[in-house]
Amino acid sequence: MGLQMQSHGIQSMLKDGHKHLSGLDEAVLKNIDACKELSNITRTSLGPNGMNKMVINHLDKLFVTNDAATIVNELEVQHPAAKILVLAGKAQQEEIGDGANLTISFAGELLQNAEELIRMGLHPSEIISGYTKAINMTVETLEELVENGSETMDVRNKDQVLSRIRAAVASKQFGQEDTLCSLVADACIQVCPKNPANFNVDNVRVAKLLGGGLHNSTVVRGMVLKSDAVGSIKYIEKAKVAVFAGGVDSSATETKGTVLIHSAEQLENYSKTEEAKIEELIKSVADSGAKVIVSGAAVGEMALHFCERYKLMVLKISSKFELRRFCRTTGAVAMLKLSQPNPDDLGYVDSISVEEVGGVRVIIVMNEEGGNSVSTVVLRGSTDSILDDLERAVDDGVNTYKAMCRDSRIVPGAAATEIELAKRVKEFSYKETGLDQYAIAKFAESFEMVPKTLAENAGLNAMEIISSLYAEHASGNSKVGIDLEEGVCKDVSTLCVWDLYITKFFALKYAADAACTVLRVDQIIMAKPAGGPKRVQPAGPGMDED
Amino acid sequence: MSIRMLNPNAEVLNKSAALHMNINAAKGLQDVLKSNLGPKGTIKMLVGGAGDIKLTKDGNTLLKEMQIQNPTAIMIARTATAQDDISGDGTTSTVIFIGELMKQSERYIDEGMHPRVLVDGFEIAKRATLQFLEKFKTVVVMGNEPDKEILKMVARTTLRTKLYEALADQLTDIVVNAVLCIRNPEEAIDLFMVEIMHMRHKFDVDTRLVEGLVLDHGSRHPDMKRRAENCYILTCNVSLEYEKSEVNAGFFYSNAEQREAMVAAERRQVDERVNKIIELKNKVCSGNDNNFVVINQKGIDPPSLDLLARAGIIALRRAKRRNMERLVLACGGEAVNSVDDLTPDSLGWAGLVYEHILGEEKYTFIENVKNPYSCTILIKGPNDHTIAQIKDAVRDGLRAVKNTIEDESVVLGAGAFEVAARQYLINEVKKTVQGRAQLGVEAFANALLVVPKTLAENSGLDTQDVIIALTGAHDQGNVVGLNQHTGEPIDPQMEGIFDNYSVKRQIINSGPVIASQLLLVDEVIRAGRNMRNQISS
Repeated sequence: MGLQMQSHGIQSMLKDGHKHLSGLDEAVLKNIDACKELSNITRTSLGPNGMNKMVINHLDKLFVTNDAATIVNELEVQHPAAKILVLAGKAQQEEIGDGANLTISFAGELLQNAEELIRMGLHPSEIISGYTKAINMTVETLEELVENGSETMDVRNKDQVLSRIRAAVASKQFGQEDTLCSLVADACIQVCPKNPANFNVDNVRVAKLLGGGLHNSTVVRGMVLKSDAVGSIKYIEKAKVAVFAGGVDSSATETKGTVLIHSAEQLENYSKTEEAKIEELIKSVADSGAKVIVSGAAVGEMALHFCERYKLMVLKISSKFELRRFCRTTGAVAMLKLSQPNPDDLGYVDSISVEEVGGVRVIIVMNEEGGNSVSTVVLRGSTDSILDDLERAVDDGVNTYKAMCRDSRIVPGAAATEIELAKRVKEFSYKETGLDQYAIAKFAESFEMVPKTLAENAGLNAMEIISSLYAEHASGNSKVGIDLEEGVCKDVSTLCVWDLYITKFFALKYAADAACTVLRVDQIIMAKPAGGPKRVQPAGPGMDED
Repeated sequence: MSIRMLNPNAEVLNKSAALHMNINAAKGLQDVLKSNLGPKGTIKMLVGGAGDIKLTKDGNTLLKEMQIQNPTAIMIARTATAQDDISGDGTTSTVIFIGELMKQSERYIDEGMHPRVLVDGFEIAKRATLQFLEKFKTVVVMGNEPDKEILKMVARTTLRTKLYEALADQLTDIVVNAVLCIRNPEEAIDLFMVEIMHMRHKFDVDTRLVEGLVLDHGSRHPDMKRRAENCYILTCNVSLEYEKSEVNAGFFYSNAEQREAMVAAERRQVDERVNKIIELKNKVCSGNDNNFVVINQKGIDPPSLDLLARAGIIALRRAKRRNMERLVLACGGEAVNSVDDLTPDSLGWAGLVYEHILGEEKYTFIENVKNPYSCTILIKGPNDHTIAQIKDAVRDGLRAVKNTIEDESVVLGAGAFEVAARQYLINEVKKTVQGRAQLGVEAFANALLVVPKTLAENSGLDTQDVIIALTGAHDQGNVVGLNQHTGEPIDPQMEGIFDNYSVKRQIINSGPVIASQLLLVDEVIRAGRNMRNQISS
């Protein structure tokens, strides 16, 4: 008899291959374990002295980076709980564009401490309520720690900008932050619109050109396109530009057309009318004063011929977005069909030149005067992975600039804020009477992770540093952080290491949210993994690299 | 066995084996869902086949996602799904109630009682309970101005069982206001008129109610305005793009001039339609700085977009059909299907239209509308699973408010109804029943207690203590529910804990039916193809 008395319980009711985990040991602690593993991976990359990771993703692409967002993205984390942390990191990356590492590492630390509390006998719900209280307290405290006078800043003042993005860039490219920061600051300030809140990250482009070194990197007011001009004119100065989104060629009907020809004569005449038509169009463009034609699609042979004849420079930009940016740079309005442009629709460039940089032909579009809307950071480096990493650092810097345009408040960096928060939250925990005071205390302790990791990554004695930090803060010097180069504690206002308030705020909040979510789960029901090609079995507990 | 002779591969379970299989399955499902019940229920994490994460406390979602295979469990799960379809809530209660009915019956059956007698008792008890429910319910009169407080209490009771407290309280206001916004006393409430839109952005507590509409797409032209105030809204369903003719047509031309003419002629028809819209815009917007927004259900091709952009019109294409209905309700005006006779009367109005860009996604907000009869609940959350969780909860909350308005009555929650009904059955109904059916009534009455019991269990309280305290208070004539924090009896009316009347009625109605059916099964036969594979599992 096949239909035996089924043992009751959920397992028997689910389809084959489903997994069901429940309870403290099976679900909560396992989840915490997985998250811990993940945060251990990212943690060593935290801060300026963080280690790089070499990640090879499923497409065999190699990444050498210490950018946590990239690492966890390429890891393709499978474990559901660890995935929650990854999602928190991603949310941070999307919201601010920086601080993903802090989010993941801090959430991991919170969970690790939660594990100790669970082993002590606390119920997850008590830990959650404690953590929630603690994060609310933290947010309040964080606001108090904001540096006086930082609410207002001139986002066009390079020094002020530099002081704020330095820490963000330094944590990615330590030692090169001065060069990079000034590049980023220049590029950002250039394109900053009248109302800084409307700053668009998309307006700062990065062009990666192999060869040279970081010191060769420059900022171009305008765009750098990795292609060659179509025609033979390679250089032009102070010219008007006409942009055609639909391509530069003879027009075609949507419905299929056929040329009706009865005799050889007609054939000849037809080609002539065709030529005349295009000549007429190109001439009208040339007459309007344009010296450059930019096409969003193919450029016909015939059209090109006439462009050459009328001494028009022809560029082809096939990406729609790139074309849009080009329009922004030059102030041109893209026209759909080849026709005579209105004077208003024409854009202006200071110069367009085709140059050979590192064996690649690039078009450099400069617009010094009129258009301050797009700028490009030209990065030079010896390998692709170095360039990628530099790009990520620049991206972080630009995102920080954007965040600062929205909220320019800053808090002391170099772990000074974390220690101060730890101190204050701990004091807060003493005032609580319930069981959640233990959770709050642990939350406070979790902040120590940041100075500890910074010190460890720099090869310093973490315990010593933390205790001296605490001592300094206890005596009221709330701005004392770690000077990683000298390995001592110093006031950060002399070091000039500042973090944006808003980055810290979101990172801590997302981390606490993620940790609480993981703790709230007490049952996991996993469906059978969907079909498809067999994956290579992961080595670790199902959440290492794939 | 006879079936074996008919089909040698068939599997048979009979008599008590069949019954026990059913009982065990029901109990098993109860065990799974039990921990979900109430505000202190725990969250389950579901991992889909593709590794996607879902966090839920909602019984219905759980049953849908779990892919249950056991036949008995499927039957129960279907009842629960039906429960959700009808009343939008109470799935967990249904499942645990059925499980408890089976558990109670098991005791009597093991003592040799025939299931049929129990079923008769269930039937009597069910009818009595429904009558009791009619007496017990609190009538709420919904005039033209419904009592917002009571709606809020019902919504809060539902939402707190799905989300954590702070968020639930915030959603309560949103949900109640949303339903009141679309409510038209003469017509039935159509919840589809509340658009639920989500953005992956910021935190879950940033969820808000937008009086107006949020569309999940933006204008497709770089030169259109991103933000416009005082806008006329033209809602239309007119194709503004070139459509190929149905017949296989082609052009013959013999020189480029002719071709140019063809190209122009092809566009003419579309351009004419666009021009009519532009004409209307010029008519209504001349002399003031009002703006004009076209929202089209059909497509708008790039040349048309270009024309509209040059005329200073914001145009959105390919709006959802449902959004067209909502737009008309929110902004006024009417949806036009042809541009031939456009009048200013067909235009809607909105105080503010703006575009919000999140990474690759664009959202268009239409806000500050006059007298909206449609609104949008904008759910925000840092990641997809948070959003999904809130979405499910919002749906249930909306249903709860709608039910209350339609039922015009509510039932005291926190287990108060269950305890009161049980006392009523034991103390009064049981005595009027002749014979062994009494035991059926008793089983039913005790099964009702599963709700307060489970609530207590999930709060980490001692179930027996709680039940005794509650029944004691009821015997003294006080209607009390369970305080989840202390385990003491409380007055649900004071605390504002109210359940939907229709939810409770549906549970009482469907629970015993399915339980009776399962109890009356005496043979389970599995035959047919593929059973070898399945049985070995």
